[in-house]
Amino acid sequence: MTIFANNRIWLLSSAIAAALAVPGVSLAATLNVMQSEAPRSMDPGDQTATYTAALLDPMYEGLIKRDPDLSLKPALATEWSSDPSGLVWTFKLRQGVKFQDGTPFDADAVVKNFNRHLDTKRGLAASGRLRTFLDSVTAVDAGTVQFKLKTKYPAFLALLTTGPCLMVSPTADAAGTIGSKAVGTGPYKLGEYKSGEYVLEVKNPDWWGGAAKGEDQIKWTWTAETSVMNMALQTGDADVINPFPSAFAQQVKANSEMKLSTTDGSAVFWVSLNTKLKPLDDVRVRQALNYATDRAGIVKAFMQGFATPANSPLAPVTPGYDKSLAPYSYDIDKAKQLLKEAGYPDGFTMSTIVQEQEARIGELLQAMWAKAGIKLDVRKMESGVWSKAAFLDPAGKEKDGIGSAIASWSSGVNGADLQFRPLYYSKSASPAGANLGFFSDPKLDELVDKAASTLDETARNAIYADAQKEVNDQAPHVLLFTKQDLFATRANVAGVWVIPGGQVVVKDAKKQ
Amino acid sequence: MKAYIVKKMLALPLILVGVSLLVFVAIRALPGDPARLMAGPEATQEAVDNMTRRLGLDRSLPAQYASFAVGALTGDLGTSIKSKLPVVSEIRERLPFTIGLAITAYLIAIAIGVPAGMIAAIYRHGWPDQAVMILAIMGASIANFWLALMAMNTFSVQLGWLPLLGATSWKSFIMPSVTLAVLPTAVIARMTRSSMIEVMSQDYIRTAYAKGLAPGQIYWNHALRNALIPIITIVGLNFGSLIGGAVVTESVFNWPGLGRFLVDAVRYRDYPVIQGVTLVAVTGVVLMNFLAELLIAVVNPRIRLD
Amino acid sequence: MATARTDHTETQPRRRSATGQTLRWIGAHRSIALGGALISVIVLAALFAPLVAPADPYAQDLIATMEPPSWAHPFGTDDNGRDIFARVVYGARISLLEVLLSVGLAMVVGVPLGILAGMSGRYVDQAIMWAMDILFAFPGIVLSILIVSVLGTSLANLMIAIAIFSVPVYSRLSRNLTLGLKSMDYVEAAVSLGISTRRIMTHYILRNAIAPIIVQSTLTAGTVILSAASLSFLGLGAQPPLPEWGAMMSDGRNYLGLNIWMSLFPGLAIMITVLGFNILGDGLRDLLDPRK
Repeated sequence: MTIFANNRIWLLSSAIAAALAVPGVSLAATLNVMQSEAPRSMDPGDQTATYTAALLDPMYEGLIKRDPDLSLKPALATEWSSDPSGLVWTFKLRQGVKFQDGTPFDADAVVKNFNRHLDTKRGLAASGRLRTFLDSVTAVDAGTVQFKLKTKYPAFLALLTTGPCLMVSPTADAAGTIGSKAVGTGPYKLGEYKSGEYVLEVKNPDWWGGAAKGEDQIKWTWTAETSVMNMALQTGDADVINPFPSAFAQQVKANSEMKLSTTDGSAVFWVSLNTKLKPLDDVRVRQALNYATDRAGIVKAFMQGFATPANSPLAPVTPGYDKSLAPYSYDIDKAKQLLKEAGYPDGFTMSTIVQEQEARIGELLQAMWAKAGIKLDVRKMESGVWSKAAFLDPAGKEKDGIGSAIASWSSGVNGADLQFRPLYYSKSASPAGANLGFFSDPKLDELVDKAASTLDETARNAIYADAQKEVNDQAPHVLLFTKQDLFATRANVAGVWVIPGGQVVVKDAKKQ
Repeated sequence: MKAYIVKKMLALPLILVGVSLLVFVAIRALPGDPARLMAGPEATQEAVDNMTRRLGLDRSLPAQYASFAVGALTGDLGTSIKSKLPVVSEIRERLPFTIGLAITAYLIAIAIGVPAGMIAAIYRHGWPDQAVMILAIMGASIANFWLALMAMNTFSVQLGWLPLLGATSWKSFIMPSVTLAVLPTAVIARMTRSSMIEVMSQDYIRTAYAKGLAPGQIYWNHALRNALIPIITIVGLNFGSLIGGAVVTESVFNWPGLGRFLVDAVRYRDYPVIQGVTLVAVTGVVLMNFLAELLIAVVNPRIRLD
Repeated sequence: MATARTDHTETQPRRRSATGQTLRWIGAHRSIALGGALISVIVLAALFAPLVAPADPYAQDLIATMEPPSWAHPFGTDDNGRDIFARVVYGARISLLEVLLSVGLAMVVGVPLGILAGMSGRYVDQAIMWAMDILFAFPGIVLSILIVSVLGTSLANLMIAIAIFSVPVYSRLSRNLTLGLKSMDYVEAAVSLGISTRRIMTHYILRNAIAPIIVQSTLTAGTVILSAASLSFLGLGAQPPLPEWGAMMSDGRNYLGLNIWMSLFPGLAIMITVLGFNILGDGLRDLLDPRK
């Protein structure tokens, strides 16, 4: 016990211990954000995951940005216009902007950024979206760039706010370090990326917009355990958690120390049916599956009510969504009747592949479809295995007997083309794209192409209405629901909002 | 004696080679494509192919094993697919956390398990014996992830005494190490009890009694010293099971150690990391086994586990 | 002549009833009795599941999800509205299957290998032990993660994975027992009589080694069930909608703070089963040890 004989040392060490023991105390104010997965890359052009996009958002900017009311506003571009054909767009760039490593932001930087996506040899993960319509980007002068589009593309401006169109420092990109060290132009810069542990973002003192409005630091952590996320919010280890596990909604709503935010989301959950595998090649069978699905029941059991049953392949927030489209009703008898017509009066057996998070949907469908005589074999797989299986070609899926896959797709508010094309366009059949069921309908392809180049909004929406009906009728998917975006914060946090699809925006958030 | 040590030491590299082969083969046999995973669901086939090339996964298997083996010997375990950092430095950063957790857990296990086992042996067939045995078996039959979550809920959320996640202060050590210590405590308690019982019935203990030594002295000086062997056995030979427990515990507590690192790596098929961490973990187990067997041979040459 | 008093008495020995004898045996072997009783409860529940739990373990009721215990649902309902009591009872079948198959497979592979190693010359012995050491060096969970990830997630592959990492224990045990038995007189006699090696291995070695091996199997049984639970936690366990205890506990952990029933009851079931096996194993070990 001689350690404690010296009182001063004992007092000092216990004071230090006490100080260390208080969680989250640091000299700067930190906003702690916890998500459900780790960031895939520090380069917004080389990944497509929503949660990584949220993490990168404070550090990067594009030519255009979205405001909390979802309108498009100038960011790194001050004004823009297009020629009468709609194929050539001219952007005036903001002056005096520097990347966080000192590289000047100018037309040359913009051109380099887009060229790395147009370069077919580079193979960046997010390039796919741009290559369908973008022809070239050229510098008119140091402060002006010109975009040439292959076809008219109404979602062009919206796309400029997303991943591949965010400006990364050409110097860092050329050095090959951008994947692990973020360098953008945003109000926050990378403070520390402890791989597997956390990402710390600190204010960028040289930001062109002056003083960033948020906290001094933003610290991003992640956990795969929903209970732990909820506990972290309760203890205050996390100020913001996203996505919020809906099971705990009542608990959080009843707790005055926390706030729950529920907004219309854009992630549509579906079961993609393998149209090349018997008997799913028969449209009546696919429709029968739709009739056998109790969407309201799934919404209640799986999302605790925080979702809208799907009546259309589009989410309600997507421009062009047709509210009046009649959904499939929950009608077991109709399902059985259709099956009988198709030649399966006693039902049949099929399989579905799911990832851990959607496994319960599989279980719910299993019980529902059994009532119509369909035996569903649910195969739960880890993400790696699931990705491989889901993107197999028809031969591969036939060999493994993969009848369907349960997943979701979100196109944010960037336009219906980004929902239709990757999922239902014939050329997007996997492994080339996310049309996991190899759906091929020339009528739909035509509608999608036509809409994509129709600049008049009313006309475009009318075409999309037809497209939605076509997808509903042909039933390549059993559409399930559109998930609401749920995130929760401590009560003293203000200024957090979410872009439909689950990308939470925290760069302007402050703790009172 | 020397021959025994030398023989054991020569066997080590052979084991490690076998281990590295098994690890390599098993990992390559893992379904799932790291390139597709890294690129994300929206990526085109071409982007995935590019990623495959960037990761060196298009080379032949023997070529990949050769570079892995050579690298391992020279201290280069490759580069993490996910973080693009050298695996060796990633491991070096996390190893102390896992070791710290393991040591703390063992200390707790010995501090509680040994006295408990002794009490159970001394009051054999009495209620302390029954109590210790039942508690020990209960401890050995709780799913550790459940215990971890319950502890978090009770001590962090409800009572607010301990930090929930991560390794921010000395307090962060408590819940993870106690959770991890539950199983070794149970095993050490039972082993101490049975070896104490065995030793206590031996002749030289009876001689000590006859000589008139106080029971306390007998227990501590003679019996315990000889009961140390099972403790060395558990710590050394059951090291593998502790690592296994650490995997789950670290995942739940977001503990920045090798266990969680491994789980994340498997999720993303980060081959170099899976290989490197498994190799390090297994090497650790092999070394601990070796040291334990050595210690046992030194302490009691009559007992040779061969 | 005086009647000599001797020790020999003419009274009849007291008749011991069968029940009395059984009860005396139970009293003397409390561990075996208790362990055996616990396991019997589990086995009976598994065998007579439809009688014990009339509810359908797979029937979902999306209106009545996450309900606390009640008369209708003694253990409450889970997140899909399924009766937890029925799932726990039917889960006993799966857990016992897991134990039988994993332990059985480990024994079937490990014991012959160990006996072979013990009986053979230096090189075969070294080779087999080298392979076992490699397997043994892997922490069980790590090996299971690799194997299940390679083979695919399913109950069968889970059992194979657990069996594989349990093999070294049985082979080492059998080998050490074989080495000990090899030098016994009756075995040496059999060898000199010219009895074939195979017959020696089965009739002399195996028969005498089987008891400690059985004791070990009761201890492995506990590990099997807990390993399955940990693997479910990591997403590599039994596929839905199987009412496997480990998977049920793992699912329930997502509702911590809201609903304890989903994890509590399968957890208790696991604990009782593992408890039963361990107590039984201890009792058997005490029974076999000649010193006590």
